[in-house]
Amino acid sequence: MQVRIGIFLCDCGGSLKNIDFLTIRENLEKSEDIAFVEISHNLCLEEGEKAIASRILRENVNRVVIAACSPELCQDKFIRLLEGLGLNSNLLSIANIREQCSWAHKGDATEKALELIRMAINKARLLQPVERKKVPVNKEVLVVGGGFSGMKSALELSQLGIRTTIVERESTLGGKLEELEGFYGLETSPKEMFGSMTRAIEEDKNIEVLTSAEVAKVQGEAGDFALRIRSGGKESSRSFGAIVFATGYRTEILPQDFELKPGSNIIPQQKLIELLRTPGKLERRPETIAFALDFSDENSRLPTLSTLNNALAVKEKLGSEVYVFYKNLKVDSEGTEKLYREARNQGVVFLKFEEKPRIYGEDGRVKVEARDVLLGEEVTLLCDLLVAEEKVLPPEGTKALSSMLNIETDSQGFYQDENVHLYPVASARKGMFFVGGCRGNLDLSRALSDISSASVSVCELLSPGEAMVEIEKVKADPQKCRACLTCIRVCPHKAIRLVRVDSEKWVAKIYDLACDRCGICAAICPAKAIKFEGYSDEQILAEVEAIYGEALNTNRKSKGKSKNAN
Amino acid sequence: MNKSIAVIGAGISGITSALELANSGFRVYLIEKEAAIGGQAASFCCKATEVCTKCSVCLVPRRLKEVTTHPQISILTNSTVSEVSGELGDFRVEVWQKPQYISLEKCIACGVCADVCPTEPKAIHSPSPDAIPYCYVIDATQCLRLRGEKCNLCQGICPTNAINFDLKPKRQELSVGAIIVATGFEVFNAREIGSLGYSRYPNVLTGLDLERIFKDQGFLKLPSNGREPKKIAFVQCVGSRDESHGYCSQVCCKYAMRFAQLIKYQSPDAEVTIFYIDLQTAGKGFAQFYEECKEGIRFIRGVPVEILQTSSGELEVRFENISQGKVERETFDLVTLSVGITPRKDSWDLAKILGVNLGDYGFFDTKEPFNSVETNGEGIFLAGTCQGPKDIPDSIAHGMAAAERVMEVLEKCK
Repeated sequence: MQVRIGIFLCDCGGSLKNIDFLTIRENLEKSEDIAFVEISHNLCLEEGEKAIASRILRENVNRVVIAACSPELCQDKFIRLLEGLGLNSNLLSIANIREQCSWAHKGDATEKALELIRMAINKARLLQPVERKKVPVNKEVLVVGGGFSGMKSALELSQLGIRTTIVERESTLGGKLEELEGFYGLETSPKEMFGSMTRAIEEDKNIEVLTSAEVAKVQGEAGDFALRIRSGGKESSRSFGAIVFATGYRTEILPQDFELKPGSNIIPQQKLIELLRTPGKLERRPETIAFALDFSDENSRLPTLSTLNNALAVKEKLGSEVYVFYKNLKVDSEGTEKLYREARNQGVVFLKFEEKPRIYGEDGRVKVEARDVLLGEEVTLLCDLLVAEEKVLPPEGTKALSSMLNIETDSQGFYQDENVHLYPVASARKGMFFVGGCRGNLDLSRALSDISSASVSVCELLSPGEAMVEIEKVKADPQKCRACLTCIRVCPHKAIRLVRVDSEKWVAKIYDLACDRCGICAAICPAKAIKFEGYSDEQILAEVEAIYGEALNTNRKSKGKSKNAN
Repeated sequence: MNKSIAVIGAGISGITSALELANSGFRVYLIEKEAAIGGQAASFCCKATEVCTKCSVCLVPRRLKEVTTHPQISILTNSTVSEVSGELGDFRVEVWQKPQYISLEKCIACGVCADVCPTEPKAIHSPSPDAIPYCYVIDATQCLRLRGEKCNLCQGICPTNAINFDLKPKRQELSVGAIIVATGFEVFNAREIGSLGYSRYPNVLTGLDLERIFKDQGFLKLPSNGREPKKIAFVQCVGSRDESHGYCSQVCCKYAMRFAQLIKYQSPDAEVTIFYIDLQTAGKGFAQFYEECKEGIRFIRGVPVEILQTSSGELEVRFENISQGKVERETFDLVTLSVGITPRKDSWDLAKILGVNLGDYGFFDTKEPFNSVETNGEGIFLAGTCQGPKDIPDSIAHGMAAAERVMEVLEKCK
């Protein structure tokens, strides 16, 4: 089809005085494929839009160039207008002659405006329509992990009318939160919370639970993930529209921080909770209990929260003397400062150190030596029990799963790269969400926000039952593709796979729903087989040629010459 | 069942809630008191050095643009809620909209009106370069016409006839199924701690001042003489973790360290000191950032009690160096007070209109523990810092959580 370009120039209510619009029109009208050049005062207002619509329909153009203010402001409006006229939105090319031209220069800016418009025209000549289409999506969701975050995710999704399957590695649901003895000052205990959630899941017809099962393989893309789930030595195939990962975290006491042998009086939080639950098992009441914080790293809110809660529980149930050794108290989560103040009111003594305290065993007790910076003195404490700090780590299998999914992990090894644009729960792979402990250590209120954020994102993606995608905006040409796998390796969204064409040849295919239009594959393809419509090499070179046409040609020639000379 | 939602406050949380709900088919009224949407976060600056320091400020503009072009969202700027009646599924919300005098639909932001405006500073001006909606505003306290004099220069020159001085406040009644409160926070007023010298000494600034300075100018100068500061201190926990604010503001350690890194990046010779009580270094990737900061920035445990200006214009800071157990004095060119997040003073009025409770320190209260989005008023939800301190990513997550709960509750009563 022959290109016919309609050009609209906007002088912004006559305010762009340093651009001579008549000169521009005169210069542009000479081209054969330009149907008209119209000067308007306010394209963005209703009357301007009406004028665009009637002129386009009258002149029957198939490319539109608009020279006006920043596309940030009005592009969406113009796209909707063109689509309303039945013109493909990809056939629009915008030149910013206000913010990047008229306003940026004090003197006459006509020449620059003309160049910007010429660039837009050159690009417009090469633009191809991009079809937009609705594709069906699978409305079922998989939740990986049956701890607090996983259970809560499934319950929320079910409330939003989405069928959910939970896959849990262990033989029962449940998780880390049970390691808390209680929430200080609250009636509900973590145990009761789990109990009521488990019952709700059992009664919910929208939720299926697979225990002693794990994900063996994930293929496909958002809306249509094909999974293999391993359970009891057997594998089965299932498909889901989205996956919520709630694999939690694990804790570990680092031996280099606490040199004493196991079985001594240095215990983990979990052991302390068992003692508090069954005080009858204790030979005698521990007179002095100390907690250690900030020994291994300073990254964790969770050890602070469990220490404060458990210290208060010790005060309440055993009435022992309680000491907390810490460096920087992590109070940056909801209610923690309040809990800290309450602990001090209840007589918990906080000892602030800068150099790591030294720990010795002495007559069946634990001796802690530290320099308390607030007192400015050396402190020696003999305690019956020392509750060791646990380092919060990604759960086992995180590495394997992340490399299978092609999901980056952060510097601590937790899921999801530190990319702010994916916050809070999205990942580089559309349709995969990471919530709670598995994406970094979180307190309960942050985890709850995470869970709801994922639920609402899943709902947005799957609830309509179909998703709108641009078809082949980024496309690999099967004739040119050499199946070198470069694009597959670099794609952060795992949107490219090899498919067989004809009978023999394998070529790269880009999946529209998974693709995020980042353009990395198009830039890197050694065979130049991948074309990103709107930003193809030809289109960008055509824009450059609009201003440096002559220079570019000369440059190429001289380059050719020097090659020959070599 | 009414599938419309009122969101009060168009900061980052309110915008996020509105977008999530609108994308799921709800009709949303986004009610904003100011002339432009975006709230506090929209006025903050990017804190990248040669690498991104993950301050998340850049998440705001894109969402702002999405919200203004979304067909399911109506934005009411210059508007306040005056009365609410009804119940979950059927609320009536009365909104008063102050006259804007410049039509949002007609203004093309060409700026010719400001050129002819005879007052100084100009009564008619663009609110900020990236304000959304991008429409000129009239400052009623400056405008000659609105102060009763005869002047219609701007009205006469406006190419689109967008200016109309005859407008009166407009009353609207919205019928909605649920309400989300996302009114945000107020920055702690550093004048309340007189001994730190804010507003008395030109070179004592707040974190918010620094946000504005870096956003507008891109680099730091001494307000007193325009020179580059060589010795800079940050004072943490100003208006946080004290007697009347028994909570951690959660953002100040992070922004102070990011600013400190940015200042060191721009002027490697500058000496930067951070005075603190407990450094909050938890959070994704932040412990590592802290390690990087420790290389070039001095951290002193102990918060200054007094700042005085010497005769040569330097600032003498008196503080207890806790690690040394000594009271010390040191002079700096510039001191930044890392002010915290406090509840909005007008929260009380809104809480009364809505019939919901305020909790500790005046933030909006929630119905039960471990549910930070539902209030005691059925069908009234909370998003963002009106409920308690949050940084930008947490505010976004909270805004999404509020939207999720609205969807869940309205799904049930369908």
